[in-house]
Amino acid sequence: MLVFLLNRLWQSVILLLIVSIIGFTILNLMPGGPLAQFALDPGMTQADMDRLAEQMGLNRPLPVQYFDWLMRMLQGDWGTSFRDGVPVLDVIGRHLFATLLLMGSSTVIAIAIGTWIGIRGATHRYSMFDYSATVGAMVALSIPTFWFGLVGIYVFSLRLGWVPAGNMYTIGDGSVLNYLHHLILPSIVLSLVNVAVWSRYMRSATLDVINQDFVKTARAKGLTERRVLMKHVVGNALLPMITLAGMQLPSILGGALVTETVFTWPGMGRLFLDSLGYSDYPVVMGILMFSAFLTVLGNLIADVVIAMVDPRIRLG
Amino acid sequence: MSTIPLSEPRSRWWHSRAVRRFARHRLALIGVVMITALTLACVAGPWLLPYDQLYIDLRARFAPPMTGQHYLGTDPLGRDIAARLLMAGRTSLLVGVCAMVLSTLLGAFVGVVAGYRGGWVGASLMRMVDAFLAFPSIFLVLALAALLKPSPTMITIIIALTSWMEVARIVEAEVRSLREREFVQAGRMLGLSRSHIMFREILPNAMGPIIVAATLTVARAILLEAYVSFLGYGIQPPLPSWGNMLNGAQQYLASAPWLAIVPGITITMAVTSFNFIGDGLRDALDVRSGPG
Amino acid sequence: MAHHKTPTTMSRRGALMLMGAAGTAGLLAPNLLGKPAFAATPPETPTGRIIVGLSQEPTNFNPLMVKIEVDDGVHFSMFDALFRVMPDGEIVPNLASEVPSQANGGISEDGLEWRVKLRDDVTWHDGAPFTAEDVKYTLDLIVNPDFRSWRTAGHSLLREVTVVSPTEVTWRMEKPFSPYLSFLTETFMVPKHILGAEADPNTAAFNQAPVGTGAFKWDNRIAGDHISLVANPDYFGEGPYIEQLIFKYIPDVTVLYTQFKSGDVDLLGRMYITPDNYAEAQTLAGKVIKLEPATSVETIYLNLERPVFKELAVREAVYAAIDKASIIDALYYGLPDSVETFMPRTSAYLHPDLPQHEFSLERANQLLDEAGWVPGSDGIREKDGVRLSFVNSTTSGNHLREQLQQFVQQTLREAGIEMTIENYPAAVIWGEFWTQSQFDSVVVGITYLIGSDPDVTNRFHSGAIIAQGGRGSNNAQYKNARVDELLDEGSASFDPERRREIYLEVQELIRADLPFLPLFSDNSIRAWKEGIEGVVHNGNTRTETWNAGQWYWAS
Repeated sequence: MLVFLLNRLWQSVILLLIVSIIGFTILNLMPGGPLAQFALDPGMTQADMDRLAEQMGLNRPLPVQYFDWLMRMLQGDWGTSFRDGVPVLDVIGRHLFATLLLMGSSTVIAIAIGTWIGIRGATHRYSMFDYSATVGAMVALSIPTFWFGLVGIYVFSLRLGWVPAGNMYTIGDGSVLNYLHHLILPSIVLSLVNVAVWSRYMRSATLDVINQDFVKTARAKGLTERRVLMKHVVGNALLPMITLAGMQLPSILGGALVTETVFTWPGMGRLFLDSLGYSDYPVVMGILMFSAFLTVLGNLIADVVIAMVDPRIRLG
Repeated sequence: MSTIPLSEPRSRWWHSRAVRRFARHRLALIGVVMITALTLACVAGPWLLPYDQLYIDLRARFAPPMTGQHYLGTDPLGRDIAARLLMAGRTSLLVGVCAMVLSTLLGAFVGVVAGYRGGWVGASLMRMVDAFLAFPSIFLVLALAALLKPSPTMITIIIALTSWMEVARIVEAEVRSLREREFVQAGRMLGLSRSHIMFREILPNAMGPIIVAATLTVARAILLEAYVSFLGYGIQPPLPSWGNMLNGAQQYLASAPWLAIVPGITITMAVTSFNFIGDGLRDALDVRSGPG
Repeated sequence: MAHHKTPTTMSRRGALMLMGAAGTAGLLAPNLLGKPAFAATPPETPTGRIIVGLSQEPTNFNPLMVKIEVDDGVHFSMFDALFRVMPDGEIVPNLASEVPSQANGGISEDGLEWRVKLRDDVTWHDGAPFTAEDVKYTLDLIVNPDFRSWRTAGHSLLREVTVVSPTEVTWRMEKPFSPYLSFLTETFMVPKHILGAEADPNTAAFNQAPVGTGAFKWDNRIAGDHISLVANPDYFGEGPYIEQLIFKYIPDVTVLYTQFKSGDVDLLGRMYITPDNYAEAQTLAGKVIKLEPATSVETIYLNLERPVFKELAVREAVYAAIDKASIIDALYYGLPDSVETFMPRTSAYLHPDLPQHEFSLERANQLLDEAGWVPGSDGIREKDGVRLSFVNSTTSGNHLREQLQQFVQQTLREAGIEMTIENYPAAVIWGEFWTQSQFDSVVVGITYLIGSDPDVTNRFHSGAIIAQGGRGSNNAQYKNARVDELLDEGSASFDPERRREIYLEVQELIRADLPFLPLFSDNSIRAWKEGIEGVVHNGNTRTETWNAGQWYWAS
């Protein structure tokens, strides 16, 4: 196990290195760059632009810039944002809360509803409920999230006026109720896909367990259906679910990006788009590494869990 | 595990178990019917409509659906939405299918090589897969779209470049489990070349999961194209695509909601169809689904 | 006139204002401070809060560092410059006690020696007095090669900035440069005792919690969301009358408008209300909706080094084939004004009688026929093997511009001209693609002036072409010897009459040469809640909050 872990860790480091190289290259190959935003300023001369490029170290050869970045990174210095001069980790930290809030609440909704639908679907296999849940999940997976958000805004905000069209809270009103009011629509929109995914996984995970001998035995022992379910099925199905949760860690960024854009949610996704838009390289790289790190962590967790559960998979 | 028996009797393909099972899958059939209808409409429809999808008529802008012969209304430039929708379907479906083909080829190739060779080749290939998966795909798409001149071909390539990893993973796992099977060992014993074994013996046996993954990739590619074009980085005007028809719809959401609703429903229908078909194929080809 | 804290200055400003209002045909508010004479007076102590909604996020709070327009809103509220530019273009004292001129001896006859006298009653937000040392520190910092400063044009001409006394500073210019006075209205003074004490001004703590002399003090910032400023009770000038000023970042204009309607935002900053919502906005209860002339000019900007655009006849034909009226009336809901020049409509230097554009496909066809462009088999004209075809680009995601592009594309086709569309994200298009003139043509809104000064050397001088080794932003690669001559003379002259003649002629020449096709200049739809008094548009600044210190809630 230790060898396996060390091996995986080593591979993870390599992986992060590859990610950083690919990310840095693509980012710097993108035409334009951090100074493009000043190009329409009538008073900014090319001399000013050249001076800034020099001061920001943008005119050095790409490999030099990369190694400079890498060396700093290895010492724990993530750099500072081109836009506001704030250390990258602080910038990420300032936006993390909003994303975690949104992801958290949508995950809670998704797990609660998804688990219920999944188990009910599995225990009432081929029922009307199961059938509609399956169809519903497929349709949910097929709806473009940004479009679903738009329709949600149109119906519930513009037409009915029940919920705000965007934002995390009303300025001057920091009450929990106000946050909740703003959370409703985006977290439901975001949870749509997750409900679909979780319910499908939960259904098949439950099905896998439900017909196994120990469950049949338990049932034969005269335990009620509910207790059997709670104790064995859910217990056993949850392990793969944890794996799935591990795999989903990186979607903290990707999953919320679209929703955050539509609902003007001040989180990581929007920070990422804004930073990409202004070519704020240090922040974009920071977010990429942060999300890559989460991915690696998620994969690691998933691998370890699978390896522990399934001895058929060769370690290494 | 997926196994299409090697010694399938030479019966006609539509007699096969898989086809029969697929035909019994009601959702899959609905999917096939929907996507066929949609494709036919996109191919033939534009000839049947009285409007050209590019013709701008500023006097007729923002006509709601069912005004005159504008069955689905008009857009901010007075162009007929029905005509645009069907022309857009050609673009979007084509981009989706082509991206699927490209990404499946790439993914299957990487997967087979990595799974069969194993060792450091396999490990490093799979780390590449992991590395690509570690990027938010939207970053790759947006960055590449900025890097390359936006055109339908480029968008197809970009989407393919960001969607091949799933297939590679599935195929790699499949091949790894097939590698030690009797028929492969038999082939090795017979002295067949490595590429022959990889692509002639193993790959056909992994076709089930590949087909399923490919179907789902079409769905994903259509969604991705829609999002990228929605942001304005994708298919460029005046060529319509379902995604770029939504571009700008947010601005007119209150006054002209049909601008958002019509293409959105169409995208959902197309993507749902592919997902239905994928699900049916998964059952028919007996591809294991579920966690892990 | 309403009651003011500083009656002497105010009456003078009031007079200037009346002149300005007459000059701009009533486009400006009927009172400098936006207060009709009968309206409520500001409260005794700062009261209430105003939330300004912005579609971009201000991120830079050191007013000397490289910045974009949206940052200005915060800078104008927290800092002061030596001078202030008023809506009519008049430059009035701010931290300085008078505006130097050749008449009052503040600027020497040769335009080289400058002497600026300062107010003696100004303190920084931390209580320390503002002195000439701060001015010298600021002007020196701007040209410090290690400092990531914003524009250095003009500042780089300064020599020997000298503190004569705590209230007087002098310097010498390397050459006479009249626009510098205007530049100084945007050059905010920073505190030497704070910023100067930091090791590296680029990364100073000051940049995250700035200290100025302005009407508002720094409160806090929630990154990605909002910035909060609070009233500075010791402000030397008029105001502030509100307790708290908040800049709220809402990245989507549609959501921004929705939030304004719902009352979550009190005043709309950049990008204001989109034209399609104008009709509805006017019906909103409890909101003030006002059209204000924007300074930027929407153009189809051409790259004159492209073979097709080298020929004047082609540029004229393309211009004639653009149905401007339909674009303005239909796509922009009739809001913008058609223009023929780069000069803002509010500028005193605006040329009133330039030839007017006329949409005529006949004329376009005739021009091209005469120039020898013959329609090919596909209807697109050709000459000597060159197809009359070009690419047009703009920022992707700008829906109105994309509509404009497609409309123009259709009409140009009728004149046998092919225009294809290739749009790019902002960070891409305004990079080398723009600065190194790699485009064929671009739809772009440009503000040509720096502040209120009419100098456009940077945009039209042949020495300002980056792609040809120049140092400016003449990205059209426009070259006209007479224009060069006029621009050189204009920037060295302090004589208002002579300068007016110069810039009128420049506009005539540029209208004739068409390095860009002027389309229109927008009227932005400003909006705020009823009850907010004192909001005045100032086209010579880049922000709507240039005078937020004078805003107040009518009680």
